[in-house]
Amino acid sequence: MTGEVERYLVVGAALFVLGALGFFTRRNLILMVLSAELMLHGVSLTFVTFGRMHNSFQGQSFTIFILTVAACEAGLALSLILALYQRSKTLDIDFWSELREPGLPSPRLAEEREARDLVAPPPLEFPHLAPAGHVPDLEDEFGKLVDDARSPTADTPLEPPEPRELVKSVTK
Amino acid sequence: MHWLEEHWLGVSLILMGGGVWWLMPRSWQLPRIIGLITALAGAYLMSWGIKSVGGDLGDTVMFWVFATGAIACAILMITNRNPVYAALWFALATLNVCGLFWLEAAPFLAAATVIVYAGAIVVTFVFVIMLAQQSGATAYDQHARQPLLATLAAFLVLGLLLGMLRDANPGDVLVAKAQSPGVTANLLSQPAPGKTLDDDTMRGLGRSLFGDYLFAVELAGTLLLIATIGAIAIAPRRSRGTL
Amino acid sequence: MPENIQHLVMWLIPLAPLAAAIVTALLGPKGMREKSHLPCWFGLAVAVVCAYVLLFSIVPGGFGEHESQAVVAPGYQWIDVGGLNVRVELRADAMTAIMLSMVTAVSLLVAVFAAGYMHGDPGYARFFACFSLFVFSMCMLVLSSSFLLLFVFWEGVGLCSYLLIGFWFQKPSAAAAAKKAFVVNRIGDFGFLIGIFLIWTTFRSVDFATVLGEPQRLAELAAAQPGRITAICLLLLLGAMGKSAQFPLHVWLPDAMEGPTPVSALIHAATMVTAGVYVVARCTPLFVHSPTAQVVVCCIGGVTALIAALIALTQDDLKRVLAYSTVSQLGYMFMALGAGTLAASDAAPALATTAAMFHLYTHAFFKALLFLAAGSVMHAMGDVIDMKRFGGLRRALPITHWTFLAGAAALAGVPLLSGFWSKDEILGALYSAGSSESPYHGYYYAVFAIAVFIAFLTAFYTFRAYFKTFWGEERFPAEAGHHPHEAPPVMAWPLRVLAVCALFIGGLVALSGSFAGYLHHTIGLPHAEEPGLRWGLVFVSVAVVVLGIGLAWQMYVAAPRMPSKLAAAFRPLYAASLNKLYFDEIFWAILVAPLRGLAWLAGWFDRVVIDSIVDGLALVPRWLSAVPVVFQNGRLPSYALVMWAGLIVCLALAVRLFASY
Repeated sequence: MTGEVERYLVVGAALFVLGALGFFTRRNLILMVLSAELMLHGVSLTFVTFGRMHNSFQGQSFTIFILTVAACEAGLALSLILALYQRSKTLDIDFWSELREPGLPSPRLAEEREARDLVAPPPLEFPHLAPAGHVPDLEDEFGKLVDDARSPTADTPLEPPEPRELVKSVTK
Repeated sequence: MHWLEEHWLGVSLILMGGGVWWLMPRSWQLPRIIGLITALAGAYLMSWGIKSVGGDLGDTVMFWVFATGAIACAILMITNRNPVYAALWFALATLNVCGLFWLEAAPFLAAATVIVYAGAIVVTFVFVIMLAQQSGATAYDQHARQPLLATLAAFLVLGLLLGMLRDANPGDVLVAKAQSPGVTANLLSQPAPGKTLDDDTMRGLGRSLFGDYLFAVELAGTLLLIATIGAIAIAPRRSRGTL
Repeated sequence: MPENIQHLVMWLIPLAPLAAAIVTALLGPKGMREKSHLPCWFGLAVAVVCAYVLLFSIVPGGFGEHESQAVVAPGYQWIDVGGLNVRVELRADAMTAIMLSMVTAVSLLVAVFAAGYMHGDPGYARFFACFSLFVFSMCMLVLSSSFLLLFVFWEGVGLCSYLLIGFWFQKPSAAAAAKKAFVVNRIGDFGFLIGIFLIWTTFRSVDFATVLGEPQRLAELAAAQPGRITAICLLLLLGAMGKSAQFPLHVWLPDAMEGPTPVSALIHAATMVTAGVYVVARCTPLFVHSPTAQVVVCCIGGVTALIAALIALTQDDLKRVLAYSTVSQLGYMFMALGAGTLAASDAAPALATTAAMFHLYTHAFFKALLFLAAGSVMHAMGDVIDMKRFGGLRRALPITHWTFLAGAAALAGVPLLSGFWSKDEILGALYSAGSSESPYHGYYYAVFAIAVFIAFLTAFYTFRAYFKTFWGEERFPAEAGHHPHEAPPVMAWPLRVLAVCALFIGGLVALSGSFAGYLHHTIGLPHAEEPGLRWGLVFVSVAVVVLGIGLAWQMYVAAPRMPSKLAAAFRPLYAASLNKLYFDEIFWAILVAPLRGLAWLAGWFDRVVIDSIVDGLALVPRWLSAVPVVFQNGRLPSYALVMWAGLIVCLALAVRLFASY
């Protein structure tokens, strides 16, 4: 039954370190959370292995608790990410770098800041009218309705959403 | 070969770290397979270097399969440019870890992890698709931040951990343990008399959880409840047509 | 009168105005507005009644008997540290009662006048709150039982004076004048405070009763340390010079005329500026032991009186003429105080002090009257006070004219009016000091001559102002609206009452001899019979008064072109007088300019040297922080990496420990 427990420890340590590495290098909020989960996997594996070495169920019990806490953490992290996403419209962790020392540059590169804003949503499609009908005045009625529906009143992003301007020009 | 026995730790760290670094997303992409193979070679060398008491062949084979899968999936997860694939690799890594749990006489744990993480991963996966992928590839997934520094720091820790493992030689602990049974504090967490950990997994785990750790289990339940309420409270309200 | 009722009466004198001040301050701006003067009137009326009750109850056995006694109304323990024991309590003797009767009566009349004068001012309630507070402070000042308590309210009246001079604080000149008064007074207060410290180290007490009321001990101490007594006297004199605007600290008083005219009448003519005279008079038992200090007092009074009278000759601003006249008359009082040398006779100090207090008393009434009349002129002329811009007002403002004439005649010393009697006593005191065997009798003679000359000047400039304002061609400034209105009854009646007082109070008191008979109940003042009139002196003073008034008539009524000719003929002298003998300029050159230079130098040193050192020190942490600041880049993963570095260190230590284990 026994044997090779040390190798399980190696795998656990490797998973822990790889998770940390992911946490350091990824900028996607969701992937950072997943990397943290990966670290938890490594720790869980190590606990189970230790429990086995000591011929005890304590390691497994502890892993159950880790699992519980991980589930809580995942739920809270996802709702937090959702809140952050609603304000920034991006999953980039570097967007939230306001706590840096004054004078230091933003970690986001200039072209990245541009890049996000240039992502254009798909153009709106309007129903095709019969050739005999008159063309509705988009600016006055429909255009206004569309603009109202899309104007971010309740949850205004921190940076002004230029894509909206793009859309407007497209509809014109 | 003698030289390798002396220096296996450093060589394996360099191999694995170099492979991971190779795979990091950056503006120019190297052939991924080379990095993966190098990293896995390093991982194998690590496992080889740690002296182990032998087990039976079936378990050994299964261990190598699952361990390879776990490490490879983890490496691919943290280096993939596409968050959707990264999430998928994470799911696979979880499955492989569950396999390792199974091998370590923890079938309940394996099942629970699959269920919990499958649920969590599916939800995460859906979120990734909805949030990140709705406007194509994003710039921030295309570049790893400080890949060299992070890799060095991470594998330095791995080297330290493995160094400790090598010096401690936990196999000896196990042997010493087998020679003097019963020197342990928590009786309810032990397998039933005359049985081993492998024979008595479900009953033993249940006894441990609801015997030694009953209070903690209740606490964990409360924690879950609070976390649920908190998540509902934190999650922003939907406003017209947005997520 | 039962003792406890007497104590209650004494406490009511200051507390009624204080209560009025508090009520006005709290309710005035929002609640009472146009009725804000009512609490002040009521409080002051109570104080007047109490003051007169006190005046007649404090010396029970008739005026003639001589027994020094003071009534002490207990308060509470204020300071009890080591040997220093100061109680907040009221102490009244004859001098206090006289001062109180004057202060409260004049205050009430001025308050009534001010209700008309300040009508419609946005700060109406604030004015009466400050006014009541001033009366409270002044009453406490004269009721104090110790030097320390006196100093507290000495500062209190200074504060109220500051508030009221700067009453129209939007006006830059008013704000500057208030500041000037405060700063100049600081110089005097500095000396006063050191004088109090010296009193404490010498007498181990600051109580009047201990310091002044034990003649044996005082004489012993004075014999042992004559220099110490002289120093105390001179330091107290410095304080008195600041408060009473004596040369060279007189410069603030003319500027203080920026305040409302009732304030000038009350604070800067009748009451507060006489606090210095009061203190010196109160300390007469000390001063008699220092002939040097006495002659200094006398000479300072003489110089001040002469300078102020010379400046007053040419001023065109009616209020400024009166202000310099006030300075000059205060100088007169100091002359008298300084003349009380024991070398003349044992009774000389008492007589001199009596003369000074008598002049203080009469001066308060006629100078307040003159200021209020000037205020009435201002009121009618639309706040114009320059005598060149109006004239011949005697038909337009009959009441003001007659009351001003009464005040002017009293001030000039027209025979049988108030000023005549008090001035005569002062001249008498100076003459007897000059004819004594004092080593300084030459000085006293000189001061006596000056005093006679000043009597002439006073008569001249007073009637110059009177003739220029009320005689000659009828002219009104544009601000008056061409229909100058006589003062309303609320302003006219105080003028009438004060005019009666100014005319008759001196003669009433002097002829009955009651003033000296009353005042010698003050501690430390020996009994003295009034010497009666010296006919020679009377003749001289009447002669100079007639001469002065006649000259003024000649120059400003009979031959109106004569003054400008004279001014052209004696241009430098005229310019010097017009520019206040250049005192402000001299002070600027010898005090303000060097201090500004020093301040500039200190500022430069601070900016360049001190700031450089501080900035240089501040650079060190900035350099030191250059490295860690890189990690503070706002990125969460970077923070995690730093944490990870900590983990590396811990693990490395663990490995080493493990290896050694």
